[in-house]
Amino acid sequence: MAISKAFSIEDGNLAGRTLVTARDMKYSDIDLTFTPKPSGDLYKKTDAADVKQSVKNLLLTNYTEKPFRMKFGGNLSDFLFELDTDFDIDLLGEQIIQAVDTYEPRAQVTRVDANLYSDRNEVVVTVEFQILSTSELVVLNLTLTRLR
Amino acid sequence: MATSTVRSSDLDFSNIKARLKDYLQNQPEFSSYDFEASGLSNVLDVLAYNTHLNGLTANFSLNEAFLTSAQLRSSIVSHAQMLGYQVRSRTAASAIINLSVNLAGVVGRPAKLELPAGTTFVTSIDGVSYTFRTRESVYASDDGSGLYEFKNSTASNNIKIYEGVQKTKTFIVGEKTERQVYIIPDETIDTSTADVNVYETVSSSNFTAYTPLAFAIQVDANSTHFSIHESPNGYYELNFGDGISFGKSPEPGEKIIVSYLSCAGAVANNGTLFSATNDITVNGIDYAINVTTSAESSGGAPKQSIESIRQLAPIAFASQQRLVTSLDYKGLIESNFPQVQSASVWSGDENTPIDYGKVFVSLNFVPGTSATVQQAVKDAIVINYTDNLSVMSMTTEFVDPVYVYVEINNNFQFDPGLTGKTLGAMETLVYNYIVSYFNTNLRDFGQVFRKSNLATEIDALDKSILSNDITLKIQMRFDVTLNVENVGVLYFPSPIASPDDIFYRVQSDAFEYAGYPAVIKNRLSSTVLEIVDLDGNVLLDNVGSYSPSNGTVSLIGFNPSQIISGNSFIKINVLPQDDSKIEPLRNYILSIDSGKSSATAKPDRQTPSLKVNI
Repeated sequence: MAISKAFSIEDGNLAGRTLVTARDMKYSDIDLTFTPKPSGDLYKKTDAADVKQSVKNLLLTNYTEKPFRMKFGGNLSDFLFELDTDFDIDLLGEQIIQAVDTYEPRAQVTRVDANLYSDRNEVVVTVEFQILSTSELVVLNLTLTRLR
Repeated sequence: MATSTVRSSDLDFSNIKARLKDYLQNQPEFSSYDFEASGLSNVLDVLAYNTHLNGLTANFSLNEAFLTSAQLRSSIVSHAQMLGYQVRSRTAASAIINLSVNLAGVVGRPAKLELPAGTTFVTSIDGVSYTFRTRESVYASDDGSGLYEFKNSTASNNIKIYEGVQKTKTFIVGEKTERQVYIIPDETIDTSTADVNVYETVSSSNFTAYTPLAFAIQVDANSTHFSIHESPNGYYELNFGDGISFGKSPEPGEKIIVSYLSCAGAVANNGTLFSATNDITVNGIDYAINVTTSAESSGGAPKQSIESIRQLAPIAFASQQRLVTSLDYKGLIESNFPQVQSASVWSGDENTPIDYGKVFVSLNFVPGTSATVQQAVKDAIVINYTDNLSVMSMTTEFVDPVYVYVEINNNFQFDPGLTGKTLGAMETLVYNYIVSYFNTNLRDFGQVFRKSNLATEIDALDKSILSNDITLKIQMRFDVTLNVENVGVLYFPSPIASPDDIFYRVQSDAFEYAGYPAVIKNRLSSTVLEIVDLDGNVLLDNVGSYSPSNGTVSLIGFNPSQIISGNSFIKINVLPQDDSKIEPLRNYILSIDSGKSSATAKPDRQTPSLKVNI
């Protein structure tokens, strides 16, 4: 049986409106590349780009880097100091999920892939996450390389 | 719209960042500031951290700007110098010895022998050898039999020797464009041993001896004084007058020679056996110098501690190098005599009985200070300070500290299930703690005993201790001459409990009277004191009385023939009217009679009783 929705007289005008099922929150942040516009202002990151920048920033931060927040960050650089034979992709994935769960409430990780390229001394990590307010799926690719 | 202000002096990082977020909350431009991973949060971290560091720096700087809150020694020394306070350097230990040489039978022996200043002696303390030396020449004359006993410049055979190495620093005064300060890069200097001589030229043997400014009574343009101050890096600076009105300043071309003792400080205390490093040579033959120790080495001390400077510098400033108030005396004595742990000073009108025109000084010496050194310190206080700096017509009288003992009986409950210790071990633990509590927190002038504080400490001593109760008595000691009638009054620091028909309030330890072992007790329900034997028979029905309100115990006609304990005094204990605290009088020092104190444990397994006692 079909269900019809009824509104009160006071709310009657809602009948003609579109029901929004997802929150439409506008996020805005400064662009960490600090690229200036021709006007001299900095560019901004908004919505999905904002969250994507945050997740990237979070995952590339190592423990003790943030003042008075010793355990903030993905601490992924730790994995670069392991033998490639001991490289644990599952542990890396858990660490990413835990960091995002703890410090980025706007996103939920749906998938983590990591590929080790021994000859280039780098790890390529792909993180797929959903922005909770819009259900939008975002893919973030990170390349972890030792500086020296 | 709410407003938010970021205080640049705020210290807490979280508060600063929260205030920055409050500000951004009111700005429509950015909304992601509250997510810790956002770029804006990183910017806020930088801003907040910078403000946090600025706040800390300002806080530390301001702390260092005041004597009461400064932490760095250099800051505290600088503040003290601004107050005109002379910070004490490391101090050389000194000992008093008697010296003699026996030349009996030596043909052609001289009438007089000399040991020059700087004659050295060695002693060993804890396996380490220390060198002591004389600082003046001493002379000995033949007593007719060939025995030479050395005497110092005051004709005393008590020769003082100081630990340390004699060092000299030479400065040639250059052309002066600015006020010259001479650096002595030696943290081990005892500045009180510094001699400063200024020679007319580099090669001249004529010199003027400069004296310490601290002892100057009057200063004019021709005064020859010097002062040595600690510099910020821990070394010392030699200063002279300005050469105009405040004392002479060495002229260009003159040579300054500073000689002083570089000493080891407190580690050279307690040396008892000394031997001369070299023999004395008479007519080409060496003879041994006989050394007898009159007072073991003492008085060695490290640099004055920063807490001591913090406490004494304002007092010294207030005294203005004059001895007027009791605090002036206290500050001057404690600053200049490391042998004195603390001093208590009161005027004659505060004394009992009143004695106008006198200042009473009681000194609590560092444990181990010999009687000879104690007397030397008292003499030095009078000669160097009170004779020169005190108000005219005031004389100084030294009074020994009076020790008041506390007899503590502690009963405590403990749960054996919460500790692995036995009942005996727990009793030992609590007893030792009570003794150490007195040694650590009391044993000095003006230290008040508070029963609740000790009870709290005992409760916290071990998690198995559940509760404790303290009963105490105050004990003073009455010096006794045997077989004569002794008369005297003991002034207890607290009122004594009023007489009772069951319990005694005053009681002594045992002595022998009329052939019987006996004690002094108050008569029940009375303040009259009696001598009773151990069976309770009254041997003498009035040997004095006690005054509950004044806290005095007066003995008259007390004539014992023997003190059972073998001491030269009897212990008299009283029950205080209020045992919650014992506040010592001016020269009283509280201590514990460990032999009459105890700790008794009672196991308490904390199981609730199901039995009702009817």
